[in-house]
Amino acid sequence: MSTENPLERYSRQMRVPGIGKAGQQKIMASRVTLCGVGALGTVLANTLVRAGVGFLRVIDRDFVEPSNLQRQVLFDESDVTGNLPKAEAAAIKLRQINSTVTVEPVVADINRTNIEDLCKDADLILDGTDNFEIRYLINDVAIKQNKPWVYGGAVGTEGMTMTILPGETPCLQCVFEKSPGPGEVGTCETAGVLGPIVSLIASMQAAEALKILAGKTEAVNRELFLINLWDNTSRRMKIAPLKGRKGKCRCCAQRQFEWLEGEHGTQTTSLCGRNAVQVTQRRATSLSFPDLARQLETSGTVTANKFLLKFAVTDGGDPYEFTVFPDGRAIIKGTDDTDRARTLYAKYIGH
Amino acid sequence: MPIVVDLPPPIREQAGGNSQVTVQGATVRAALTDLIAQHPALEAKLFDKGEIRPYINVFVNDEDIRFLDEMDTAIADGVTIALVPAVAGG
Repeated sequence: MSTENPLERYSRQMRVPGIGKAGQQKIMASRVTLCGVGALGTVLANTLVRAGVGFLRVIDRDFVEPSNLQRQVLFDESDVTGNLPKAEAAAIKLRQINSTVTVEPVVADINRTNIEDLCKDADLILDGTDNFEIRYLINDVAIKQNKPWVYGGAVGTEGMTMTILPGETPCLQCVFEKSPGPGEVGTCETAGVLGPIVSLIASMQAAEALKILAGKTEAVNRELFLINLWDNTSRRMKIAPLKGRKGKCRCCAQRQFEWLEGEHGTQTTSLCGRNAVQVTQRRATSLSFPDLARQLETSGTVTANKFLLKFAVTDGGDPYEFTVFPDGRAIIKGTDDTDRARTLYAKYIGH
Repeated sequence: MPIVVDLPPPIREQAGGNSQVTVQGATVRAALTDLIAQHPALEAKLFDKGEIRPYINVFVNDEDIRFLDEMDTAIADGVTIALVPAVAGG
């Protein structure tokens, strides 16, 4: 598609009084890092690319599965059969939607070793993740690099969102000193998740993003917004007084970035809704799939493309499916026990 | 007007499936004590060694009790106490 006036496709958006031509031009010059392109992330990416952000980096460690299609709006059945990583599949769709946006897919696990680089050239960080380990990492980076970010979460029929403007509003740790541990609250697996709650929360996050990118931070939501689509309830929690928690917030008041410094976080992560565990190497490596495939073929069934290797095996009478990535990371399906996953990883992949 | 405690979905099973429970008490602590007297299975979900679990935020009429008087925050008939853990999925 070509038009003589590149602003024409945004004409309806520019008529919104808070945006206008000047706001649109700021949006088009902006750079955004999106952490996670699953349920929340596909809605966020779709909205921001249509709105005309200049640059969008989409990061995800996962690949597209049939159970994603119920709510992850950028993917379709061909992405499943093609075994495509979510970041790559999303980039293909996003470029079809708006070829004027630069989309950079990154197939990687977001962790403390790479997140600063992934965010340093961004004007805004968006949360499309499904776990608190990455959200606390995002919070550390955002405060350290003085960048705004927007948190969103959704499980079952309930969701919440808040916007963090460093120095102006409470940070994630001001409000949530601790995150729930494994098994303490519902996950997408135990509680399920309804498509509309994801779309709704991500759309609210996207609106916040557009306000920030258009330079209208005075319009930003300063409260913790909660909504439950099944109970038909919503709440706006007054969190402004929590900013810095009278100097006690380790992150934004004391500037101790404990998640970035590796004091928290694990090398294994139980994946929401998947009966699966991700095992990450402390140091990234470079796997040879042909070598690994040969090694594994005697134990089970192996298939591979250039993005990932799949390995199905029965161990101790239980079936497991490994998805191994070139950096040595593996998602082991068939268990939510991180110790069991570590054992299986060591047994079949090594170390 | 009663005092109402709003329960988040992850702990409703321990309250007989209810999303709200009507309680009595002059402080947040007394109200939550009454909540547990009515639904004893909630105690382990909400408390650890007598302290509210750190991932559960408590709001009285949408104000965080960390900026009121914590568990001693005085309450009157008609208030809503909301128990709010972070929502993780996405």
